[in-house]
Amino acid sequence: MTESEEQLPLSGIKVFELGIAIASPFCGKLMAYFGADVIKIESRTSPDIVRLLGSAWLKDREELASIASDTSPYVSEMNASKRSVGLELKTDQGRATAMQVLAECDVFLANFGARALADLGFDYESVKAVKPDIVYVQLPGFGSNPGTPYYPFVAWGPNQAPLVGMDDFTGHSDDPPAGIATVAPPDYMSALHAAIATLTGLEQRDLTGEGVHVDISQFETTLALLGPFVMDYDLTGAIPSRMGNRSMWGAPQGVYPCSGTENWIAISATDEDDWRAVRTLAGNAIDQMFDDAALRMEHQDQLDEEMASWTAAFQVDDLVDRLQTLGVAAHTVSTNEDLLHDTHVMSRGWYQVADSKRLGRDVFSNCAVRLDQTPGRWTHAGPSMGQHTREVLQSFVGLSDTQIDELIDAEAAFEAIAPETVTSRPWDDWIHMFIPGVDDARDL
Amino acid sequence: MAVPYQGVTVVDTTGLTGAYATRLFAGLGAEVVHLEPPQGSALRQLAPFVESVDSPENSLWWNYLAMGKRSVVLEPGDTDSLERLISQADVVFEDQLPERSGIPAELIGPSTIRTRILPFGLTGPKRGWKSSNLVAWAGSGILYTTGFTDRPPVAPAAPVQLACHAAGASALVGTLLALRARRLSGIVQNVEISMQEAALTIAPETGVPMLLDDRVHRERTGNRRDLGRPFGLYPCSDGFVSIIVLMPRHWVAMAQWVAEVTGNESITEPVFEDNAVRIEAKDLIDEWVEELTTQGTRLELFREGQRRGIPITPVNTVDALVDDPHLEAAEYWSSTDLYDGQTVTVPGAPFRTNAQWWSTSRAPFLGEHTELYIN
Repeated sequence: MTESEEQLPLSGIKVFELGIAIASPFCGKLMAYFGADVIKIESRTSPDIVRLLGSAWLKDREELASIASDTSPYVSEMNASKRSVGLELKTDQGRATAMQVLAECDVFLANFGARALADLGFDYESVKAVKPDIVYVQLPGFGSNPGTPYYPFVAWGPNQAPLVGMDDFTGHSDDPPAGIATVAPPDYMSALHAAIATLTGLEQRDLTGEGVHVDISQFETTLALLGPFVMDYDLTGAIPSRMGNRSMWGAPQGVYPCSGTENWIAISATDEDDWRAVRTLAGNAIDQMFDDAALRMEHQDQLDEEMASWTAAFQVDDLVDRLQTLGVAAHTVSTNEDLLHDTHVMSRGWYQVADSKRLGRDVFSNCAVRLDQTPGRWTHAGPSMGQHTREVLQSFVGLSDTQIDELIDAEAAFEAIAPETVTSRPWDDWIHMFIPGVDDARDL
Repeated sequence: MAVPYQGVTVVDTTGLTGAYATRLFAGLGAEVVHLEPPQGSALRQLAPFVESVDSPENSLWWNYLAMGKRSVVLEPGDTDSLERLISQADVVFEDQLPERSGIPAELIGPSTIRTRILPFGLTGPKRGWKSSNLVAWAGSGILYTTGFTDRPPVAPAAPVQLACHAAGASALVGTLLALRARRLSGIVQNVEISMQEAALTIAPETGVPMLLDDRVHRERTGNRRDLGRPFGLYPCSDGFVSIIVLMPRHWVAMAQWVAEVTGNESITEPVFEDNAVRIEAKDLIDEWVEELTTQGTRLELFREGQRRGIPITPVNTVDALVDDPHLEAAEYWSSTDLYDGQTVTVPGAPFRTNAQWWSTSRAPFLGEHTELYIN
């Protein structure tokens, strides 16, 4: 191990992950980036949803159908730098072997439903029995207390957001709730809380020798973001709802049309300095009465109409530049295609390319947490399903090749499907033109 | 057993982007000093306000996000006091670029970790740009895809300030990693969070890897999505419910429920067990599902749907949450005191542990701890 590898904050930490979709996998990816050895336990009989999504370009490629489970972009997006071990936990041998792996780990991380986890025999007490100082972090939708009403309930990330009030808060005030179907904040916020809890748990273990059981109910964790609204309701009975893009604290703030079709600018000009800058640029295009902050808040419909007439004459990037030059928060409402051409995002290396056993290389989002002396690193993109079964069972449990073969024959374990089948994504030939620092495929 | 971060001293000079991070840190045992100018932190200006209390103690944002912290007021130019506070700190949270920081580098002690939450980060062509919750979402790709096709795009749950809290939570993760690195190898370092990247993290659906894969320009799709059917929000007698049917067993239960309540036998035909067929026939499926949902309330549909094993939830507002039976049974809610002594309900610990980690106290009054730290 190199010195810089040893100095990573989570160097030497082993994480046993039973993750599906986002909440637990995203936390595991973050830990892997900062040096942890994250073992993602996978099942073929009940696979992680990202193994079922496949890839759009694969649809016409019959010869690659068998490896579809390794090709969804979400595989790398949520699992880069992890090792994948195929163990069927519903078999006695698979479960027993998983427990042997777990006995060598420092952290247990899972977002299976609490009941499903208990049924599999991976509840805290069972895990603690084989690893007494385990830092055990679970992220069930509704907590792990069987005595509470929603304990057996099921909810995907996009169901949790409306439950905690996020969807009612989304949309223009006279419209039905727009909902936030494309984004699942409860998953990510729970994942970040899981990372905080894991680091706190490791701190406790190192200082006292004691492990910990952390129960992150996604319902409760996400609700912790709504404090001021809960307090206001308790004090006054006020029930706040969606207000478009407006701010509770100043006007104008909104999304306004610019020249062309579907070109939008987001502007937050909520304080007096911001307003003076807008006035400097807009001149008489906006009524003089709006120099009064109280009138800006009071007559937001009219103000937004006048803002929209004014912005509509500009190219969006030009107006963003003019506003930011004067210190006003503004940005193009970026489409996914805009992001591919976003020089700021690209200059910061937000999109990373790393080696992939199955695809040669793959692209995924970087980590938003940046440390300047011990920056993380991506050892590889998302693993193939079962790619590391053999090496992990050898080094963690000390199994021989024969013993591993027996587990595989008994369908208690599995390795990567058709490991000799290697392909590349359609963008492989030209990705270097968009993402800085990536090699031209012809040079590889 | 000691609380893990007891003894860690933190100086917070941030506003809305850092407040959630230091709230969590304080709850986990750190001693968090919020440095305030004489007129008070900008957080104290944020509505809604407590009617019976005067400024600067009346903001509910302050009263929530500053829980567990201490307030120290520094007069402008009091470099000696600033130095004394900063030099002893394990961590300083800031929301300004180095050249605009009120804390000169020479005041930072040799073992102090500096955590910066910035609009667009320390580097890149937009490093000097301003941001806000709305602007962070605009740069993530998700704002463009949220809302109805014929209406301007809208930020997800705008009043909640999610992009700020995502940046804050990421900053705490970075800070705890840096503290661990300092303890294990003596390395002292800076943590950097770009609000744009914190929002991008939550937005992989509109990210470049997905675009490269399917080459599909993402558009707004209202409150339903063509990933499955039913998928999204459906009207009921007192609002909306959210239904996400992806798995075969969830569809079977859903179709059975619709058939039992509305007498519609066609929906149980095997052809609809194929998700792709349902997406193809989405208008028909939505119509049939609405015939069921419009007959019940949010709560009735939630309970009955979940009893049948279907991922269905109510589109809640804050009143329903405060009255929610699960949260009550789980003893989730906590309370805090306001300036005039009245008690108000607040969310409890963000997660539960079998060790005693979480503890907090009311938000400090302006300058309440100045004496303690300065004189």
